[in-house]
Amino acid sequence: MPVALLLLLAAALLTQPTAVAAPAAPAQAAGSPAEKLLDFEFFRTQVQPIFLARRDGNSRCYSCHSHGTPMRLQELSPGASTWNEQQSRQNYQVVLPRVVPRNLTFTRLLTHPLATEGGGTFYHSGGKHWTSIFSSEWQTIANWVCGRKAGEKLVALTGGCGE
Amino acid sequence: MRTNYVVERCLMSLAVLLLTAPLAAAQGQVRILQSNAAGDRVHIIDPVTNKVVAEIPGIEVAHGITNSPDATRIYVSNEADSTLDVADVATRKVIKKIPLSGRPNNISISPDGRKVYVGIREAVANNPGVADVIDTASLTKVKSVRTEGPVHNLYYTPDGKYVVAGDPTANGYVSVLDAVKDEPAWNIKMGHGIRPMAISKNPDGSTRSIFIQIGNHNGFAVVDFQTRKEVARITLPALPPGRTAIPTGSAESHGLAVTEDQKTLVACSRLNNALYSYSLPDVKLAGTAYLSGKGCAWVTVTPDGKRAYAADPVGNVTLVVDIPTMKEVARIPVGQVPKRNHTMVIPTSRPATN
Repeated sequence: MPVALLLLLAAALLTQPTAVAAPAAPAQAAGSPAEKLLDFEFFRTQVQPIFLARRDGNSRCYSCHSHGTPMRLQELSPGASTWNEQQSRQNYQVVLPRVVPRNLTFTRLLTHPLATEGGGTFYHSGGKHWTSIFSSEWQTIANWVCGRKAGEKLVALTGGCGE
Repeated sequence: MRTNYVVERCLMSLAVLLLTAPLAAAQGQVRILQSNAAGDRVHIIDPVTNKVVAEIPGIEVAHGITNSPDATRIYVSNEADSTLDVADVATRKVIKKIPLSGRPNNISISPDGRKVYVGIREAVANNPGVADVIDTASLTKVKSVRTEGPVHNLYYTPDGKYVVAGDPTANGYVSVLDAVKDEPAWNIKMGHGIRPMAISKNPDGSTRSIFIQIGNHNGFAVVDFQTRKEVARITLPALPPGRTAIPTGSAESHGLAVTEDQKTLVACSRLNNALYSYSLPDVKLAGTAYLSGKGCAWVTVTPDGKRAYAADPVGNVTLVVDIPTMKEVARIPVGQVPKRNHTMVIPTSRPATN
């Protein structure tokens, strides 16, 4: 009986939705199932440019995250305006632990730069870049977190990935 | 008929403005410089009106900020570019970006304005840390002085003879540099990361005490400059029932300043969302101002010692506290994550520009 109970418990834990499992194991190691869901090409072509974009009143993400922060993006090569393929793959691996696939609430990449009043975390030392989840940049990253592939049409998201 | 009325009104308004402008200029000989750690510009506040009167754009991830004694230039350490940015106050434009040895943190200018010391937040060559020395005549780096750790904050002593540099690592070295010879003088190890500091002076102008916020301690240590020893460690008051602590991250107490008359020390508590005042030299609690924002991370005081400008990096505001009454009297929206701020005194020989 106890063995059956343990098996039942294990089965229940394994079938829990990501949202529940996320806080306990947020990091997505290289080669993890997350890599299959989080499309590299989408990241390279649509997410990465957000890190370099200028927003009036804000520092660029890259300005802080290319040095001195735990989420350390690759430094751009001299004279380059974006990252090359290898650097992009390194950035992808750096960002992966900040993403919980298909879970927008526990994805720090989405909640940290989002205004507290808009559903974001209390404080981001890099400032708040989006006032609400309706920001186009937030929507782009949310689509990536929800598993959309490069070339697919983006969908409007309001806090969950939906089906 | 209607056009004449409008013109007449406009001329009258212009006359009033012209008549009151000299008065405003005479009162406005001080500016508060507010850097924004996650912004792209510096804000300049007039403490008479408590309004932002100018911005200097084009400075990302600003860290330290100070000005030349004649108030014609503003110096800002730029973490994004690892430069010391020099801005012209009149045009509000960055006129020079001076390359540094590494990623900079805080800066301090000599009382005569000839040198700016820049703390470098990383090991450089064989040194655990350095402070870069910038010659303000040539606007070039002329030397890097070894420190016992990377440098977060540094300050000239009021007499201009020394620079005191704090190591934010767990070693917590306070490196005192000879600012005349530009070389290490002595150091003290505090054993916790060094946060902001403030320095008081004796009546003869020599350095009396260094007040040091350390690690995650909600308070500060007092080091006697002559004996080079810690003589006191002050814990800020606990929050009374009904008040909620603010999640701070890394430093519960962050921001210190001594008034020009050497009678008051003000200390920020991020945790308590409050500013405390202590009488000097006895270091006794004198007052508490609970703030309307979401934290207090840096503070500067006006030359008359009556107002404190406290930066709230979560609420993106600079809060003004009346020191005699310890009441918050104004709230000034600024940029993203305001932290280091500085009081700029404009010499009376020069008219106040924005």
